[in-house]
Amino acid sequence: MAVKEKRNIRKEIHNKLDDNVMQGALAKFTSEYPMARLKAYANVDSIDDLRDDLRTMKRWAVDHIDALADEFQHSVEERGGKVFRAATGDDVKKILLQICEENGVHRIVKSKSMATEEIKLNGALENAGLHVRETDLGEWMLSVAGQKPSHMVMPAIHLNKEQCAGFFEQELHEEVPSDISYMIHTARRVLREEFLHADLGITGANFGIAENGAIGLVTNEGNARLVTTTPKIHVVLIGYEKLIPKVKDAAKILRLLPRNGTCQRMTSYMTMVSGPTPIIYKKDGKWVEENRKQYVILLDNGRLAAAKDPKMKQVYQCVRCASCLNVCPIWRMVGGHVYGHIYSGGIGAILTGLLGNMEAFSKFSDLCIGCRQCTTICPGEIPIPDLIDELRARYVKKYGLSMPEKTAFQHILTHRKVFHSLLRIGSVAQKPVQSGKFIRHLPLFFSGMTDGRSLPAIAAKPLRDRTEELCRHNPKTPVMTAAFFSGCNMDFVFPDTGESVVKVLQDLNIAVTYPQEQTCCGKPVLGMGDRDTGKVIAKQNIEALEATGADVIISACPTCAETLERTYKELFKDDAEWKARAEAVAGKVREFTSFVAEQYKAQGRTLPQAERGSRITYHDSCHMRRGLGVWEQPRELIKMTGADFVEMKDSDRCCGMAGAFGVKYSEISKPILHDKLENIGNTKADTVAVACPACMMQIGGGLNQQNPGVRVKHVADILAECIAER
Amino acid sequence: MEKVCADWPAKAFDEQLVSGKYWDEFAENTKAAATELIHAGTWQEAEQLLQGLVQDMEAKEILAVGGEENPRLGMMYQHLQGDGRTVYTDKFEIAEHAPQADLGISTAEFGVGESGSVCVDTASYESRVTGMLPPTHIVFLQADHMVKNIDTAFRVIAKVYKKGYMGFITGPSRTADIERVLSLGVHGPGRFIVIAVDEPAQRRA
Repeated sequence: MAVKEKRNIRKEIHNKLDDNVMQGALAKFTSEYPMARLKAYANVDSIDDLRDDLRTMKRWAVDHIDALADEFQHSVEERGGKVFRAATGDDVKKILLQICEENGVHRIVKSKSMATEEIKLNGALENAGLHVRETDLGEWMLSVAGQKPSHMVMPAIHLNKEQCAGFFEQELHEEVPSDISYMIHTARRVLREEFLHADLGITGANFGIAENGAIGLVTNEGNARLVTTTPKIHVVLIGYEKLIPKVKDAAKILRLLPRNGTCQRMTSYMTMVSGPTPIIYKKDGKWVEENRKQYVILLDNGRLAAAKDPKMKQVYQCVRCASCLNVCPIWRMVGGHVYGHIYSGGIGAILTGLLGNMEAFSKFSDLCIGCRQCTTICPGEIPIPDLIDELRARYVKKYGLSMPEKTAFQHILTHRKVFHSLLRIGSVAQKPVQSGKFIRHLPLFFSGMTDGRSLPAIAAKPLRDRTEELCRHNPKTPVMTAAFFSGCNMDFVFPDTGESVVKVLQDLNIAVTYPQEQTCCGKPVLGMGDRDTGKVIAKQNIEALEATGADVIISACPTCAETLERTYKELFKDDAEWKARAEAVAGKVREFTSFVAEQYKAQGRTLPQAERGSRITYHDSCHMRRGLGVWEQPRELIKMTGADFVEMKDSDRCCGMAGAFGVKYSEISKPILHDKLENIGNTKADTVAVACPACMMQIGGGLNQQNPGVRVKHVADILAECIAER
Repeated sequence: MEKVCADWPAKAFDEQLVSGKYWDEFAENTKAAATELIHAGTWQEAEQLLQGLVQDMEAKEILAVGGEENPRLGMMYQHLQGDGRTVYTDKFEIAEHAPQADLGISTAEFGVGESGSVCVDTASYESRVTGMLPPTHIVFLQADHMVKNIDTAFRVIAKVYKKGYMGFITGPSRTADIERVLSLGVHGPGRFIVIAVDEPAQRRA
């Protein structure tokens, strides 16, 4: 059920950015994780084959979820267990309290279960007078602290040992030194008593096998093994998404989950329990053996609706490894708590929305910057940013945008002339604060920038006013014609780079046209979830591009290229006429660097070695690398210029701009940029090349203030300089 | 002793899947998982190694399962008895003494090369407490009972797993919940020792 929470996300973010303990822990972990993960996979032939297998199996499962659930229930019941179907968290609580009452239960031990966190089970049980203990060390400490997990696999990663010792003392009323080994042995002693005296054990499940009714539990501590061994009753709370068809399908999860989750080839314990199993205990002074009672509660809470949703059913591919957090540049900065609900990070936003709390989702869904890092490692190959986009669009469709965004997007962006004249006014209005090429504040949508990063000025003469002159230099007998879609940044902020693009194309004997009716690609509105406004803008651009009749459409901004090539046709998937027109346009769209590299190769071109003696590094834009899959070509082009090319660390990690994000959340954006600048500085390069104007703005602004000795250049600028040498 | 499968080699193994050739990868991965792997040529040698371990750790109360199925193992358990040590092999005695025991000894069905895991059939209560409650757990394994990877492990398991409690153990009980520092023995054993024996076990039907 939707719970209205009054939250001040900005304040929470600031607190987390100031939390030095958490910042230190997350910085260390996220820098170590990628290599540790790869090491765990070093002995498999192909990670992607394993991911494909998992996805295929889970897709089949969700497409047959009703039959699978029936089979699972039958298998459990055939073996003597009892199955309940719970529509909501409240249903689960009712069922559990009934079980406790019928069996005279007083003491409960739990092993880690996100589903029980999701429905806030512990509080309900405690309110009913039951003694409930978490037994996973991290969860136990957090329950004492009254905190929520900040990560699904490492719940207490935000704490240090001194804080942990404090929680030990609070719970045990004894002195506990902040010595990790001491704390571990104390936990063993205290929790062992809980295991031995518990009447009932509650576990979640990493998977549930329909074929034999077994549930699988993956732990390192072994607490799930004890929870399923010492108490006389075992209750399993399992979400429908955990069901898999056959015993052998478990392998598909287990080859990925530990490696992605904890960088292990297998966790210490992988336990499967099928049906009630024996227990030996003292009954009336005599040792007896009998089968324990087993209850399995299948939890819906929004899952079955998601299973029937053609797009959202992909969440069933999640195995809760939480690796999407481990590579998320935003989670690394803010930790898990600001995501508000139980499930944090990108997948957390989606689960939160689907499992009944769209209000909470809407509060933090814009913390996904669409960098797509997570999509490269997700074991189930879930397109996490796309699902967030989809949920956001549904939210906006239902509730609309907030007022200032409405004005900016619906009333300005849809009217090209209004939008463009505002930008022109901006270029005049900013004059007094401009210094050199960069200014501190821009009017309009660039407001709210602070120190640590300069923003470039809006150019006095936009690209659109220069193209008529530029196009006079078109070749007389061109090999093809190209329509140049510049995007707002290149039009109004970096028109010189726009000129470079035109020159490089003309040098390839291509005639360039610049359709004046083109406007913003629409990504800012689409990113906010306003697809109706997005469609209005898309239609304007499609018409403008069609009218050119050009052979290809060139974009030197990967975000625009991706939007024109992928997003427009999806936007019109239910509108046959516009879908066909969007597809025709998409078929002609080419990203600048990959197009040029291909042409150079085809024509056997070489370039004057104009960059000999300079040292150049390259930053991969997220949309370029993971959206368009282009990363080799810009590097090849740079190497053609004779430059000494050097790779930077984490070249494909987001620079922190991410469209409107870098402005709205500048406090998160700046530390991300700081890491990027440090990696650039360490290469000792004199130039950082980019192929994306947004990255150029962010990195250029940072360098301007923090490392003015290094220049940022679009690959088009580097190439244009070379050609000029000829 | 209750098991998921009374005779894994006969019912679940096939020569394509189970072979000693995966030993090297298994050995490498057990090391990474902090399992202590000991290789013995014969059961006699294994017994000497076990005696040494038990003396070194000064174990007084020992839980031991699997002796009925493997007579040679049962003999070893008898030989451990005495010298200030008590070995419990009866399931009710095991249940009673498990919370205080110093050592648990049990058996594994096969090893997994890819991960260094051992597959344990712990359908019985006594086998589970033997492996989980004492601070040290020793497992006997036949050295050529190995599968290549987790996938083949589950193909083997799928042949016999109809009901009951089983799984993998891959090293000692561990946590990294405090400052991501690896700490052993938080709930289960802090030491996990596998004694792999080349000489085939004689099974009691």
